[in-house]
Amino acid sequence: MSDMTTAAEHAHDIAQAAASHEAHDGHEDTLLPTSRLFGIELPVPLYTAVFGLLAILTIIEVIIAELPDGGLGVTLLVVLSSLKACLVVWYYMHLRSDNKLYALALIIPLFLGVIATIFLIAVPMTGYGY
Amino acid sequence: MAAIEVQPAAHADHDAHGHGAGRNENLKFAWWLYLASEVVIFTTLIGSYVVYAFNNYEVVKEVHEASGVFLVALNTFLLLASSWAMVMGLRSIQMGNQKGLITWISVTAVIGALFVGLQGVEYTILSNEGVTLYHTDGVLSEFGARFYAPTAFHGLHVIIGVFWAIYIILRARAGKYSKTNYIGIEVFGLYWHFVDVVWIFLFTFIYLI
Repeated sequence: MSDMTTAAEHAHDIAQAAASHEAHDGHEDTLLPTSRLFGIELPVPLYTAVFGLLAILTIIEVIIAELPDGGLGVTLLVVLSSLKACLVVWYYMHLRSDNKLYALALIIPLFLGVIATIFLIAVPMTGYGY
Repeated sequence: MAAIEVQPAAHADHDAHGHGAGRNENLKFAWWLYLASEVVIFTTLIGSYVVYAFNNYEVVKEVHEASGVFLVALNTFLLLASSWAMVMGLRSIQMGNQKGLITWISVTAVIGALFVGLQGVEYTILSNEGVTLYHTDGVLSEFGARFYAPTAFHGLHVIIGVFWAIYIILRARAGKYSKTNYIGIEVFGLYWHFVDVVWIFLFTFIYLI
């Protein structure tokens, strides 16, 4: 009976939190005991579902890295790590519900850094010999 | 009398959700700008490593074979788990669960400390394999400098994060957070998840490729 009361209180707390003004910043679905991730219904909270996906992607990365060398492997690893980073930023750093302008703080310096790195890779280690 | 009591409450509510919400947004925006500066630093460090690795693939391959990937993969899993614990702590306080907040942030701190400890073990293994910051003749190792700078700088961020988590726990024990006041935890979360994102790229570019 006391367990049922606790469960009812817990459910009430969730409902109250979801109904509160602060919870109306887009976090409502993270408070639910189940989640929907990429259209799939899951019996765990959203944050746990995202963690599961991150763990699976990490295992796939390690398997790809252990395979014989190949350009496709490198491309796949970069894509997978970018996907993992996007998942963390989108769900854990709440960019999906916060102001999207915040993303510029990551994208602009990252873009400049990547461009600079690509240019530096193109420079021969021995220099241009001027 | 009732009206007199209601008015201040309504005003306080307006303040919490009006000016308070604006303050929280400003705080988050400021924190994202700080993270932008961190992106510059880490992109430079990782870019420097990538340029070196692109031109010295044999050296990198040799180090990878000597160190193996198991320990660092375990560390990656731990850091992802710590990020999960962090958001579960935030979720707890959003539901008004103080005890849950303290438990999850404690898990975050413990896993973070474990990560740093395992990084120390990894450094010891690499050092024994000859991967050091300096060669025996005192000359700076080209690979060592490019490897240890980003990973150690990241490790420093994790150490700061662990202390920050302890600070959050102490404040939570003092009842400083509630389901209407958790901006401090959100900001800490932004920092901690950013450190996780950096590691995701470090893991791929330094240890896997």
